[in-house]
Amino acid sequence: MADIRPLEIGRPEIRGDAMAKAAGRELFSADLYPADLVWAGAVRAGVPHGRLLSIDATAALAVPGVLKVLTAVDVPGPNRHGIIHKDMPVLADNVILYTGDAIALILAETREALKLAIPLVWAEIEPLPALFDPEAALAEGAPRLHPDKENNLLMAAEIRKGEASAAFTECDAVVEGEFATPVQAHIFLETENGTARLEEDGCIAMTVSTQSPFRDRFEIGYALGITFERIRIASPSLGGGFGGKDGATVQCLLALAALHSGGRPVRMQWDREENLASGYRRHGCKLKYRLGAKQDGTLHALECELVYDTGAYAHLGGEVMELGMEHAGGPYRIPHALIRGKCVFTNNPVAGAMRAFGVCQATFAFESMMDLLAKKLAMDPLDLRLANALIDGDTNCAGVRLVTSTGVVGCLEIVRDHPFWREREEWKQKAPLNTRRGVGLASVFNAAGYGGKVRDSAIAKVELSADGEIVVHNAVSDMGQGNSAAFLQMAGHILGQDASLMKLRQPDTVTAYPSGSSSAGRTTYTFGNALIKACEELKARLINRAGLLLFIDNDADLRLVPGKVIHPPTGREVPLKRLAGFMPHEDRVCISQFVAPVCADVPDTASGFFIGFPHVIFAYGAHLVRIEVDLLTGAIRVPDYLAATDGGRIVNPAMFDQQVHGAVAQGLGYALMEDLVTREGRVLSEDLSTYLIPGVLDVPDIVSIPYHGHEETGPFGMKGIGEVALNGPLPAVANAVADACGIRLCHAPLTPVRVLAALEGKSCN
Amino acid sequence: MRAVLKPACLEELFSLLERHPEALAMAGGTDLLVRLRSEPAADERPLLLLANVAELQGISDMGNEISIGAATTLTRLIADPLAGLHAPLLISAARTIGGPAVRNMATIGGNVSTASPAGDSLPPLYLLGAEIELASMQGKRRLPIGDFVAGPGRTQLHKREIITRILLPHAEDFPCRTFEKVGLRRSLAVAVTSFAGMIRLSGGIVEEARFAWGSVGPTVVRLPGLEAELVGARLDLGAVRKAAEIVRREVSPIDDIRATADYRRSVAANLLVRFLEGIHG
Amino acid sequence: MQLTFILNGNETQIDTREERRVVDLLREDLGLTGTKEGCGTGECGACTILVDGESRLSCLMVAAQLEGTRVTTVEGLEETRKGTLLRRAFAEEGAVQCGFCIPGMEMAAMALLRHDPEPTRERIRAGLSGNLCRCTGYVKIVDAVERAAEDLRCCREGR
Repeated sequence: MADIRPLEIGRPEIRGDAMAKAAGRELFSADLYPADLVWAGAVRAGVPHGRLLSIDATAALAVPGVLKVLTAVDVPGPNRHGIIHKDMPVLADNVILYTGDAIALILAETREALKLAIPLVWAEIEPLPALFDPEAALAEGAPRLHPDKENNLLMAAEIRKGEASAAFTECDAVVEGEFATPVQAHIFLETENGTARLEEDGCIAMTVSTQSPFRDRFEIGYALGITFERIRIASPSLGGGFGGKDGATVQCLLALAALHSGGRPVRMQWDREENLASGYRRHGCKLKYRLGAKQDGTLHALECELVYDTGAYAHLGGEVMELGMEHAGGPYRIPHALIRGKCVFTNNPVAGAMRAFGVCQATFAFESMMDLLAKKLAMDPLDLRLANALIDGDTNCAGVRLVTSTGVVGCLEIVRDHPFWREREEWKQKAPLNTRRGVGLASVFNAAGYGGKVRDSAIAKVELSADGEIVVHNAVSDMGQGNSAAFLQMAGHILGQDASLMKLRQPDTVTAYPSGSSSAGRTTYTFGNALIKACEELKARLINRAGLLLFIDNDADLRLVPGKVIHPPTGREVPLKRLAGFMPHEDRVCISQFVAPVCADVPDTASGFFIGFPHVIFAYGAHLVRIEVDLLTGAIRVPDYLAATDGGRIVNPAMFDQQVHGAVAQGLGYALMEDLVTREGRVLSEDLSTYLIPGVLDVPDIVSIPYHGHEETGPFGMKGIGEVALNGPLPAVANAVADACGIRLCHAPLTPVRVLAALEGKSCN
Repeated sequence: MRAVLKPACLEELFSLLERHPEALAMAGGTDLLVRLRSEPAADERPLLLLANVAELQGISDMGNEISIGAATTLTRLIADPLAGLHAPLLISAARTIGGPAVRNMATIGGNVSTASPAGDSLPPLYLLGAEIELASMQGKRRLPIGDFVAGPGRTQLHKREIITRILLPHAEDFPCRTFEKVGLRRSLAVAVTSFAGMIRLSGGIVEEARFAWGSVGPTVVRLPGLEAELVGARLDLGAVRKAAEIVRREVSPIDDIRATADYRRSVAANLLVRFLEGIHG
Repeated sequence: MQLTFILNGNETQIDTREERRVVDLLREDLGLTGTKEGCGTGECGACTILVDGESRLSCLMVAAQLEGTRVTTVEGLEETRKGTLLRRAFAEEGAVQCGFCIPGMEMAAMALLRHDPEPTRERIRAGLSGNLCRCTGYVKIVDAVERAAEDLRCCREGR
C-alpha cells in the first residue's frame, strides 16, 4: 500500500494536474462543444489603415447555414474595449487601424459555412496613408492615428537618476550600441477560443481560454454597455498563454454573438492563421545605448533611448515600456542614468503583453553593452558583472532602493564556479572543422507584480467539502505555469493532507474571488499569500470543530493528518468527511486576502508613466550559453545552456526547473529564429512553417541551478520566476557569437542569414 | 463539400480520373491538404486517394533499374534495403523531410509532384538520373526528372495523369557523396538551401562529379559546366575556390521570407566547399 | 458515408462526411478531445494519433482514410499497461506544464518505442522532432520518454 504522506513545501511533488493532462482528460476551453452550437467567426479588414464606408453582407447571408452577420450597428454600448485604454472597436465603425480590425461577425451553424461566408462579406474601405514603423509615425507631418495622441505617441517617459550627461566626462571607458529586437508571437498551442451563452436570467455565461476572467467582465461590460455582474466567466486550464490571452481576444465578440443567438451557445475558435495575423504579439523595439565606466570596471553612467512599436492600439504598451525602462540598466549599480522611452502607434498589428514584458528588449541591449565594455576595459566579462551586481540595500538604475531579496550575485557565482565557465577555453579549442565555439554570459532580472499605482491583490477561498475533501478555489488562471499545483501543495502542506484529498477548481467568477490576472509572475506569490492565510484559518477552524466534536478540553494536541484530525494523547480521531458532516456549509469555507507590497519610498526619478513605476520585487538570474557557429552556413548550434535563478525559497523544485527550461526555450527562439514578419501591415509569417519556434532538436539539456534565497514577503519565502529566464538567451548568444567569431550582432533574431552576412563582412546587420 | 474517391486498383484510378479530370490526387496529403487551406472554401474538386492502390506502392529491382512506387511513403523508402543499396543519397534527403509522422504519410511521388524549389528529394533524384513514369487511361510515358519539373510548383503532369513510378538506374560507383540541407532550425524545417553531391576519384583526380542544389533557383540547379571542368582535376585549394566562385555566379536564388538571395548564394557555394574539402584522395 | 474502423480497441461505426478531417471527427463527433489541434498544417504534432501502429497527423487526414484501420488515440493509452506506464512517466517526470502538446508527444513516443525500445536521448529527440512544445523546453519530455523506455523494459522483463 502506498505510503500516504502529506504534501510538503520544498518537495518536487507531482503536479496535481499532471495525470489528467497526461491522459488527455483535462478539458481545455477548446475542448468544449456544447449541443446546438452556433459558430462565430470574425471578418477582418485586411487593410492597415482606412475608413470603413459600407459593408454588404448579402452574399454572405445567402450561404446555407449562415444565421446572421453582425456589424458595428449591432454593438450596444460604446463599442470600445481595452485593458486600460478603451480604444479597440469590437466591430469597426469608422477608422480601421490594422489589418486585423474586425469589421463583421458571422454566426453560422457550422465552421464550413463560416469559411464560405467570410470571404463573401464585401466592405468598402477608403485607404488612408499608413505608418509601419515608429520613425515614420513620429516624423513631422505623419497622419495622426488616434485623435487624442499627438505624434502617435502612446507614451513618452523618462527615468533620470543623477546627472548622466555630465557623468560621461568622468568615465575612463565609454561604449555605444544600437540594437533591434523582433516581434515575437506567443504560439501557445491552444489558440484563442471560448464559448458563451445568454442564460434565461439575462446573464452571459462564458468559458474562455483567458488569463484574466475577472477583469474580462469589465472589459466586455464596458464595450457592450452591460453591467459586469451580468457576465460570468470560467477559465479552465489554458493550453498556454504567455501574455497573449491577457486582455480580450474572443471575449467581446463572443459576448456580442451570445446576445444575438437566441439563447443558443456560441463558440469561437481562431485557427493558427488567425492567431498569427490578428492576435496580440510582443513589441518590436529599437534601442540606443551609451554606457560609461571607470577603469576598474565600476559602472558610472548610462544613457539610453528605447522606442517600442505598440501597433494600432494601446493594449498594455505604456506598461510594457515602463517595465523595460525600469530594467534598462540591468541588475547593476549605476549612479547616473538617463533612460528615455517612446511607445509609438503604427498601423502594425497590436503589440501587447508577453512573458518578459518589455524587459527582454532592454536586456539584449544592456547585456551586450556589458560585454562591449568588458572588451574595452580588457576585463573578464564575469568579473565586470560581479563587480557591479546589485545587492540588498542598493539602489537600482531606476533609483529604487532594494528592500527585497536580491540574489544576482549568488547566481553569478554559480555560473563562475561551473565547469562550463571554468573550462571554457579548453572547450573552445575543440571546435570541429569550419566551426567556432563561443561562451556567452548574461545577467538577468525581471520584476514581479504590477508595480506602483495599481492594486495588486488576491482573494483566496478554500473549503472542506461535504465529502471531506479540501477544495482550493483558484482565481488566477493556470496557463501551464502550474500555479494551481503550487496552491494544492501549499494547502496540503498547511492542512497536513496528501494529494488524494486535495482538489482544485479553476477560476470561475461566480464561485471564486477577484485576484487579478495570471501575469507578471505574480500568481503564486499574490494568491499564494492569500491562500496561506485562508488555509491557516481553515486549519484552526477544523481543529476547533474537531475539538468540539471529540469533546477535548484543550485543542493544543489536535493534529491534522491525511484524511482526519487526531488527538494523540487520547487516541480519539475524526475523519474529515465526518467532521464535514457536522459543519454547516458556511463554516467550511475560509476566505482571505492579500495585497502585494508597494514601494514605500518612491524615488523622484520618473516622469511620464501612467502606472507601474516602481516595482519592488525582482527575480534574478545569471546565464551561460555554449554555442557552435557553422562558418559555412551561419547556423548557431546550442549544445549547452546554464541558468542560475534566484526565486527565493523553492516551493517545488521540479516546477521551478519547468519554468526555467520553458522560459529559456522561448528565449532561444527569440534569440535564433522567431520573427513575426509584417510588410505594409500584413503579417507574412502565416503559419508555423514560416513562424518558427524551437523544436526538440533546437534546445539542449538546459541545466537549471537554483540560488537558494529567501523572500520575506513571499508565501513560504518564494517569489515568481515565470519570466526572468526568458531574458537571458538572446544576449548570452550574442555575446557567445562575439566570443566565437569576433562579430557583434545587434539585430535579433540572430538567424543564419544575419550571422553569415556578418561573417562575410557584408554589414553589421 | 468535397467528395473523396478511393480507387482499389490502378484501372479504377484511371477510370475515375477520366470521369473527374479535376480530381486532386492525394497520397499522404501533407502538401495538398495544407495548400487547400488557402483555396476558396467553395472549391469542390474531389480528392482521389492513392494510398490503397497497391501498384503504386513498394520498391523492386526490375533488373536494369530500380522501380519506386510513387505512393511509397518516406518511412518505407528510408527502411528499404534496395533503396539503401542503390539510392542512399535519396534516403539521406528523405530523412530530413518533416518529422516521423509526416514521413509515415508523405510519399516520394508527392514530394516530386509538388515540385517545390525546396523539395528535398529532388536534388538526389536529379543526381541519380531518375525518370518519372506518368500514366493515364491512355497509356504510360517516361520523362527524365529534369524535364518533368517545369518550374516552381509546376510539372509536365497532364490532366488525367498521375505519377506511377520513379525509376532509378542501378547504383553507380560514387564512393563520396553527401546530402546537406540548411534550414532555419534543426527540427521540421523547409530547406533554404540544399545540396547533393557525388564524386568519384582515381588517384586523387576527379573522374566524375555530379552536384545539385535546391532552393537556389526555380528548380533544382545543375552546373554541367562546373562538373565538366572538374573532371581530370585535383581537388586542391585552388580548384575548390574556383568551383565555389562558379557556383556563386551561376545560381539564381531569390529573396523570400526565409532567407535572402545573398545568403543562399553564399551557402550554395559553401556547401560544395564543405563537400570537396571533406574528400580525401 | 458509413465509416467502420477499430478505435482504441473497439469496433466503431459512424456516419460522417468522407472529407471530414479526422481531428474534427475524433474531437467533435466522437467526443475524444484528448487529440488536440495546434496548427492545422502538420507543423506542431499536437494532433498525432496512431493508425495501424504508425504515427499520423490527424489534421491532415480525411475520414475516408480511416476505413478498416486500427486507430489509437491518447484515450486508448488507458487500455494497455504500456500506455499506462507511459502516461505515468510523463506525469511523474515533470513533462507536463500546460499539457496541450502532451497527447501528441505521448503518441509519438509510443510509435518511437515500438520501433526503438531502448533509444538514446538523441534518438528520443529524433522521434519527437515532429512535435512542438511551447512550455517545457523539451528537457523533461525527453526525460519522461527515457524513463518510459526503462519502465517498459522492466515490464517486458516481468519486473
